[in-house]
Amino acid sequence: MKNACSKKKTPNPLQQEVHDTLNPFEEFKTFQFRKTEIPLDQIVQSTEVIMDQIRLGYERLLEEEAKELVWMVQYNTIIKAYEVAEKYIKEIDYSAEDIEDFCFALESPQKIPYLIPGPAGIYISALCNYAKEEEIVLKLSELKTEINLVGFRLPKGKRLMVEGDTGDFTGIGLEGGELVVEGNTKNWTGAGMRGGKILVKKNIGLHTGEWMMGGEIYVGGRVRGLGNIVEGKVYERDKLVFPGKARYPNLYY
Amino acid sequence: MNDRKVSVVEKNGYQKQVLAIYRFISDHLYFNRPDIEIKGESYNSTILLSLLTGLTKGKELIIGEPGLGKTTSAEFICSLVYQFPLGVIWGSEVSGHPEQTEEKIIGRPDLGKLNRGEEDVVWTNFSQMPVKIVDEINRLPETKQSMILDGVDRGNWEYLNEMIINDEYCLFATANYQDGGTNTLIAPLVDRFDVIVESRYPGANLSFLIGKSRGKEQILRHPKYEKDLYRVLKSKIAYEKKIPKLEEICNAFGEFVHETLEVKPLRREDRDRIRTEMGSLDLDLDASAFARMLLAELSFCERYGQKRIVENCEEGCHYTGYLCRQIKNCASNRLPTSIKLFSQGLAWLLGDSEIDIEHVKAVMPFTLSHRIQWKDEVLSQKERAKRDDPFQIFLAKEAVKTVSQRYREQSDHVKDALALGSKIFQGESLEPLEGDHPIYTEIKKDIRHRRNH
Repeated sequence: MKNACSKKKTPNPLQQEVHDTLNPFEEFKTFQFRKTEIPLDQIVQSTEVIMDQIRLGYERLLEEEAKELVWMVQYNTIIKAYEVAEKYIKEIDYSAEDIEDFCFALESPQKIPYLIPGPAGIYISALCNYAKEEEIVLKLSELKTEINLVGFRLPKGKRLMVEGDTGDFTGIGLEGGELVVEGNTKNWTGAGMRGGKILVKKNIGLHTGEWMMGGEIYVGGRVRGLGNIVEGKVYERDKLVFPGKARYPNLYY
Repeated sequence: MNDRKVSVVEKNGYQKQVLAIYRFISDHLYFNRPDIEIKGESYNSTILLSLLTGLTKGKELIIGEPGLGKTTSAEFICSLVYQFPLGVIWGSEVSGHPEQTEEKIIGRPDLGKLNRGEEDVVWTNFSQMPVKIVDEINRLPETKQSMILDGVDRGNWEYLNEMIINDEYCLFATANYQDGGTNTLIAPLVDRFDVIVESRYPGANLSFLIGKSRGKEQILRHPKYEKDLYRVLKSKIAYEKKIPKLEEICNAFGEFVHETLEVKPLRREDRDRIRTEMGSLDLDLDASAFARMLLAELSFCERYGQKRIVENCEEGCHYTGYLCRQIKNCASNRLPTSIKLFSQGLAWLLGDSEIDIEHVKAVMPFTLSHRIQWKDEVLSQKERAKRDDPFQIFLAKEAVKTVSQRYREQSDHVKDALALGSKIFQGESLEPLEGDHPIYTEIKKDIRHRRNH
């Protein structure tokens, strides 16, 4: 005699259907999916990897140098931040285009949560100085934020062209490179530069060339004020304004 | 699997029988030029689609100028596919006119019984017959069109709390172009038609020939069988019991036609077997992916979630180049059903073991044209274009051509995206493929829905 309890329960097909989610792509189940990679995919993928590394370097710089999200522009802080930036950048294999992408990523809070203009400028300068290319073009005219410290310590043999405006401390400590700004720059441009050339197509702010030790600054527009210049030359609309008799430090005009 | 299907097709050989009916009609009854080419063979779209309508239990709207054979083409098809003499078909036709009533279309009270205080329904021939022809449907006022909606859709005919259900039925409706006496067909009714086709002018020479060969319909008549069929239709027995009796007489008429005209009409069991064979045909992956791509374009709206007739496209929408931008309404769920039904029919007729993209492309414009409402700017832009088809069918053919071109360019990617979708549905942790077409967004929506549940 069969035991009723030992009977195998047959699954109710209706019940089964309710639990299974309807797969609208069922007929493609057997289709062999081929992951086709087009060259653009590879470019996008590698760009994203590099951008992640650059972002990581910037975030570490902030962790080390701007713990409270406050950063004072002082000689020591700039030097220290630059050394930290150098340390991370040396490990990354990037191109000039990645620097430009990073500048735009700075304005996107989803990509980079904190934009602190000082460390950001130092970091961008370090990226430019260690880039493989001798000539770097940064198209920053669409950028809402003006980046400070662009061109810091730009070495000899490098040419950095910026489309758009830059902020304070542009080209400070220039070390023989050539910095071209298609727009305006703010105060302290070329401060402490030792050699090289800064060309600003439009106007320039106060304290221009403060403590500069050499090199030349060419301004296509107006110079709002000169700093205490030790050595070097400043031209305003092709006219030499330093050294010159009529000019005094921080003269407003 | 494919071999099995092919062998079924070859063994039964119904295709030959159906193609013989096609040839008989085109050679003797409905003279017209071929206007559609499928896989290297030319066909007349009116006869071909009407034949498929009869075989698949479909619904067809035949449009055209008066006197160009809209109704007669449907009558010949019905007679040879369902073995009914023409006299019975004529007697079951409903003609569209403003004074048409439910009593003339569906059924009326049995007045004799009513006098005795009993309630019973006398069903019309139209509601009882498996072949239904509504002549000049757009002369029915809009309010009366809704009367036949349910019957047309499901084969359920109701009157006085009684109902008959047509197990097997097909519907042909004819419509003239808009004139003083016509009304607009209401959207729900239009949507219920699987296909629309134009019965065209055959050209001066064939038209002259038609004028010479009068009385050709007499060959599909038989007074005795017509009387017998009328007697059964009028009898008071239950509808379910009438059907076998009708089939018996139809078979006798079919034998008569076979003997006299050397063309063999289809018996009920033949039609059933043909439908079983058709039903076993599936769309191949290209046909399926292409159909999905077209449906995505006809229903997609990035901003509002789907197309709606009451909502307009946004300026600067990314999907400006797709059909969704050119149309007002959303594709209905009946559209893919019609596409599959008629593609199955066509693939079966051509003896193919699967429905491929050529079958789908051939039937698509006819399933699509009456269901799309184009935006005014599209209509005015293309109105004067050189064409052979009526404007709506021309626009649908152009649309299918455009989507087909897009599919050619990215067929592998679309299939990959769908295959990946299937893998994700099976539980694999993958990301859906990106692409510039509404279909990719639709796939992502389905996947998102799966992940959320």
